[in-house]
Amino acid sequence: MANVKIVFFASLRESMQCDELERSFDAPLTVRQLKEQLASELNQPSLLTEKVKAAIDFDFARDEDLIDVLTVKEVAFFPPVTGG
Amino acid sequence: MISVQEADFHVQTLYDSLCVAHKTGAVAMFVGRVRDFSDDPTQSSFMLEHYPGMTEHNIVKIVEEARQRWTLLDVKVVHRVGKLSVDDQIVFVGVSSAHRAEAFAACDFIMDYLKSRAAFWKKEITPEKEEWVEAKQSDEASLKRWT
Repeated sequence: MANVKIVFFASLRESMQCDELERSFDAPLTVRQLKEQLASELNQPSLLTEKVKAAIDFDFARDEDLIDVLTVKEVAFFPPVTGG
Repeated sequence: MISVQEADFHVQTLYDSLCVAHKTGAVAMFVGRVRDFSDDPTQSSFMLEHYPGMTEHNIVKIVEEARQRWTLLDVKVVHRVGKLSVDDQIVFVGVSSAHRAEAFAACDFIMDYLKSRAAFWKKEITPEKEEWVEAKQSDEASLKRWT
């Protein structure tokens, strides 16, 4: 089993009412699978909308990208960025 | 130099630090500011949130990419976070090089990528409401210029 920290930002953090949480996994999973697992567990279907972006250890990630739970420390979910 | 900070920045100081004696022939700079977005500018503000760690990581990658594309002497990026009011400065991108074409292009490139690839989120705050700013399709489309 390996622990992965999951963090949320901006409007998603507010709608989830959650800054961060930690989960243990015994096998790699995709970003999409993690979204589906959290959406179901936390009753947050908004996580599955197209607008929710993800990052694995600070790099942008797509739904099909694999989270290697043995090496990955942090996965983030957030809306499209609006800096500058 | 890359800095994500609450404090304001001083353009002249940043300009001076971009100049390399005897080598710099061009400096291009961009400053983004908060413009009015409501009926009463004195009552309007922004809250700029970022993802500590990821923001810096991605700006470093954007600057590295610019340095691979153009011959640059120095690059400085400063992006503010926290509460900002109308007319405040938000972001500074400065590039120095031997010739103007590189400086102009790299500054434009870095700013385009900052808009779509750096983990910042703006929330508009007025006495009536607080609202997260929606990302613009045009910002993502701007990146196609560089591919």
